[in-house]
Amino acid sequence: MSETRIIGKALLRREDYRFVTGQGRYLDDVVVPGALHAHFVRSPHAHARIRSIDIEAARQAEGVVAIVGGRELAEWTAPLRMAPPIEGLRPVEFSTLPIDKVRFIGDPVLCIVARDRYLAEDAAELVNIEYDELDAVADLTHALAPGAPLVDDALPDNLISHQSFTAGDPGRSFAEAEIVVEAAFHQQRQTHAPIETRGCCAVWDAGRRHLTMHIGNQVPHPFRTQLSARMRLNEAQVTVICPDIGGAFGQKIALYREELTVAALARELRRPVRWREDRAENLIAASHAREDVARTRAAVDAKGRILALELEILEDFGAYCFYPANYLARVVAMILTGPYRVSNYAYDIKVALTNKCGNGPMRAPMAITSWVMEGTIEAIARKLSLDPVEVRRVNMLGPADLPYSMLTGLLLEDVTPREAFERALEAFDLAAFRARQAADRARGIYRGVGLCCVVESTTYGSAFYKAAGIPGSGHESGWVKIEPSGAVNASVGLMASGQGYETTFAQVVAEPLGVDPNEVRIHLGNTDTAPYGMGSRGARGGTAGGSVLLSAAQTLRDKVLTIAATLLGLNSSGELRLNAARVERRLGGEWTDAGLSLVDVARVAYLDPLRLPPGMEPGLEAHRAYDPPPMTFSNSMHVCEVRVEVETGKVTIERYLVVDDCGTVLNPLVVRGQQHGAIAMGVSGALLEEVVYDENGQNRSGSFADYLLATAVEIPPIEVISQHTPNKKTLTGSKGMSEGGVMGATGAVPSAVNDALAPFGVVAERQPLSPMYLRSLLRGRTDPRNRP
Amino acid sequence: MSEFDPVPIVLNINGTQYRLFAEPRRLLSDVLRDDCGLTGTHVGCEHGVCGACTILFDGAPARACLTYAVQAQNHEITTIEAFGGDGTLSPVQQALHEEHGLQCGFCTPGIVVTMEAWLAENPDPAEAEIRDALSGNLCRCTGYHNIVAAIAKAAARRREGGPT
Repeated sequence: MSETRIIGKALLRREDYRFVTGQGRYLDDVVVPGALHAHFVRSPHAHARIRSIDIEAARQAEGVVAIVGGRELAEWTAPLRMAPPIEGLRPVEFSTLPIDKVRFIGDPVLCIVARDRYLAEDAAELVNIEYDELDAVADLTHALAPGAPLVDDALPDNLISHQSFTAGDPGRSFAEAEIVVEAAFHQQRQTHAPIETRGCCAVWDAGRRHLTMHIGNQVPHPFRTQLSARMRLNEAQVTVICPDIGGAFGQKIALYREELTVAALARELRRPVRWREDRAENLIAASHAREDVARTRAAVDAKGRILALELEILEDFGAYCFYPANYLARVVAMILTGPYRVSNYAYDIKVALTNKCGNGPMRAPMAITSWVMEGTIEAIARKLSLDPVEVRRVNMLGPADLPYSMLTGLLLEDVTPREAFERALEAFDLAAFRARQAADRARGIYRGVGLCCVVESTTYGSAFYKAAGIPGSGHESGWVKIEPSGAVNASVGLMASGQGYETTFAQVVAEPLGVDPNEVRIHLGNTDTAPYGMGSRGARGGTAGGSVLLSAAQTLRDKVLTIAATLLGLNSSGELRLNAARVERRLGGEWTDAGLSLVDVARVAYLDPLRLPPGMEPGLEAHRAYDPPPMTFSNSMHVCEVRVEVETGKVTIERYLVVDDCGTVLNPLVVRGQQHGAIAMGVSGALLEEVVYDENGQNRSGSFADYLLATAVEIPPIEVISQHTPNKKTLTGSKGMSEGGVMGATGAVPSAVNDALAPFGVVAERQPLSPMYLRSLLRGRTDPRNRP
Repeated sequence: MSEFDPVPIVLNINGTQYRLFAEPRRLLSDVLRDDCGLTGTHVGCEHGVCGACTILFDGAPARACLTYAVQAQNHEITTIEAFGGDGTLSPVQQALHEEHGLQCGFCTPGIVVTMEAWLAENPDPAEAEIRDALSGNLCRCTGYHNIVAAIAKAAARRREGGPT
């Protein structure tokens, strides 16, 4: 009898049936009888003092139950204090709703609770808030200028975080270098735009003094910790229940002020209160991401070898800190050098507050990294008139260089950047492309190829957080139970928002237990059921969650086999295994049925415990926690071919190929879907997406007609070639993935556009690569060979 | 009686008649979800761009978030609940499952409804045509590639009249 491998099989998703038939249960599908509806009145000004609030007329409006603002919330809830002990980071504190001053367009000022959402919005029309407008800080330059208006009045200026780092002796290298190359990268402000917006429903049980919060959140337990503390409840008084989530991408991690307000109102009113934000609110006021300027200086030799590298990042963090402000940019700086050997390195990161929506992590918070590094390599190639492929080869780590300790202290191991690079170029057939490109250029058709070599930081262990000065743990928890009937239940602290955990984790649990994965039920998102874990974020789900569930299932398997050995009268379980829900015994090298099923063992464990080995506890449960290595890395090589219509600035992606190495794969179908999705988000960001604020801080991208997401027309077919180099330190060998695609596309698309436009002598250093931007570069320029 | 007072409305949805009272300003998407309990119609943007709320209005795809419930009287409304169920799946639903054409699933009902209607009119589409037809439905998770593959597969199966 052969043992079936279940991990690694392309099983179709268990989740799908309910989703394709419209039977998913998202937040708005959760019926709570008698629930009132909350609506927020938001600031129309980027920066203003609240002079007066008149709610008398609104209070009289039909169906209105309550209207509250910052003063009431300050009595009912604790403020958010973001003050981790991080060098160079200023502590901040802010109330649940603003009391004196609004800081961005969309800042929630009042919450109206009414019988239904229509009536709450009607009442909002009757509210009269008078403001004294203040000068707004709408960009980085303005924010950091001397005497700039203060976004947070408690701070001396708008510089919320400043960190620098030096390793080796970059100063000396620059002093000695004959060639210094500089490059700049402007990444635009974006937002997550999950198709399901934020929302929640809070139910206060006054009899039990217990709060139940229905909310689609990626990290249910850390969310509960936040919510209970700010409600001044203990954690046993709060249950967070996550229904299906219609996309999150990092937007559904923090406890937002609206959610806390809704919870507080449910308690004060002793009525369930629910809230669903509309799309304009989601685009303007939920959470934004990215928006930074990165500049590099590289000291190089004549072959393009990097002797020293300096990075400067200025990041625009918006008005409120729901995360430590250093957190996003610092990871970029720590992993910048990626697949390249750099022996002298320095970085300087400044993060500023502005009168815009607060920033947070969005799928690949470090999205800019590979663009900056690869763009720097290309700048070196341009300056020295070298082939950018050769400049990459000269600097790239090879198999013999690994494991490689990056200057920032991270250990790069079990990655294959060199192999992925060469394999991708071969699969793409770069030589054939160059011939086609040259022939087409002569006809006035401008094609370009973009390369982007990605090293993706995937699963962060506690040791990384500690070393990076970021509060938090990297561990994950899980439990597996075999019930008396033989049914298998399992749970982990992660919450899914489309990643297919109910399928992949069932595979992980099923393998050591030798059961059909369809018989394993994964329970997610209820904090009373699931163990306390750090939740779903970054690319940690598969590795942290998969590893802990594998560990728990193995522990449980060992117990089952120990019981089986006793029932079979054997001294040891060493020659026993579970397969097809039966116990098998190896005799003479052959596995044969031992005449005992998993159900037999389960019945004994629960219902006939006196037959268990002496001293063993009844029941079949295992609860484990797992802290991953400090950092796991995956790698990939992206090749993107574009055609740029120089007359209009339109970019069309004609081919997209990626060689990806994310280690052991739990389910290749699901992994492929994550790769596609990540690349699509990167392409969408590179070409289309942009949160636009004008110079007064007015947001001009409050609808999907203004904030453009890529459709099926813009996203190309994506060819994926997989390599599977296992990580030797994680339990499953997986490394994590799902963000590298964003990094790769963010770098590969501009690389391709710059290659296409090379005859015009222009370099795009901003995203999105919109027709308007590309035309602004091309205006007045000609290709010397095609001059009319 | 003001213009905001509920009025009696009769809706024909998936072959069933629903009699209810709703304010004239109430959106069809809200009435479907809240009054009729048909929560498979999802609301993603409320301004007609994302396509998650797509229903069939006399057989043609329409945005439930841009339609008042009162406008739907005397018309045949078809929602996602009319497709598959009871353990069976429509050709598009089955192909989306097989091709991993969905992740979070929030946009999926709108895509199923849109594409089932579109394939009935366009039985043998080219890939570019599928992409064009799909461009009114935003998906933030999948990158569309697997959805396009699923639609092509569903089209082929429909043409063959084979197993769904």
